[in-house]
Amino acid sequence: MIQNSLIFNQSSVSLEIIGLPDYSNNENNDQISIISNWKLTIINKPLIEGKIEHLGPIMEAFYIYSNLLINNESPSYESKLIDIHSDNLHFHNLVLKSSKPHSKPLIIKIGNSLLSDIVNCFDQLNESSKVGIKKSDIFINTPKKIKFSLKTNYQLSNFFLPPLISICSLILFSSTLLYFYDPVEYKENKELINSKSIFNNQ
Amino acid sequence: MRKSYLNNNIKLEEFDALTKITAEMSKYLYPYIRKILQSKEDPEKNTVIWNDFKKRFKELVNERFNINSMRVKKLLNQTENDEILIRSLLTLSFCTSNKGYQKLKKFLFDF
Repeated sequence: MIQNSLIFNQSSVSLEIIGLPDYSNNENNDQISIISNWKLTIINKPLIEGKIEHLGPIMEAFYIYSNLLINNESPSYESKLIDIHSDNLHFHNLVLKSSKPHSKPLIIKIGNSLLSDIVNCFDQLNESSKVGIKKSDIFINTPKKIKFSLKTNYQLSNFFLPPLISICSLILFSSTLLYFYDPVEYKENKELINSKSIFNNQ
Repeated sequence: MRKSYLNNNIKLEEFDALTKITAEMSKYLYPYIRKILQSKEDPEKNTVIWNDFKKRFKELVNERFNINSMRVKKLLNQTENDEILIRSLLTLSFCTSNKGYQKLKKFLFDF
């Protein structure tokens, strides 16, 4: 049976997905739901290929590493299948471990430009409607903590700040009035008023 | 950081809109972003692109940002700003897909 092949290109990198449509699901002939093989070709670097069970972890490794690269001083990712370490901010070492025993791991050095090409190829695959693969949602969901903080900051500040400012300004204003208050003078005035009222009553 | 006397906080809708515009622009400018990143990888071969980019970046910061602010001074600092620029370029280069704005939003929240 002839297999379908889909290629996702980005500058110096191309990702080829080979497989068959799932006819039991009434899929079109150009769909790929049963992936038998995939190949990641990087210009001037050895070919990386594997089976469906390797594709998910490798995609996840690249997504997590790209996230670490932006937020971390010394990004590093390690798993059973792939390790990614940074030499410096410009170069990264990929260590691809073979599942076969006694075979040496493949080490590939890539720069930032190739790394972004690879991530973009995986993005294209993730967004493709023709390939039935478990979509990586590492970047799609905003963490709940962030969602909460954004909304609550906006609402809480709007709700609590105006009355808080008004109470503070009232306290400040009334405390300044204390400077004008002279208790001795107040007492004398009060006595004077009292004496006047007694005199009037008589 | 900008040269402005108003200190208005950005609204959530405005933040979303800006993120979408930035992601769309990075999609369009990806070949240039890639070239700039590549020129920094091998400085002996080609430093012209990186130097031109840095020069224009400085000009724009001087023109539009409040250069008395410490954060802006850090952006203009020769020794410190390379890392900030590379991280920013990488962030943009990772956000060129159709759902790039969601990625960009996440990167900005984590920053």
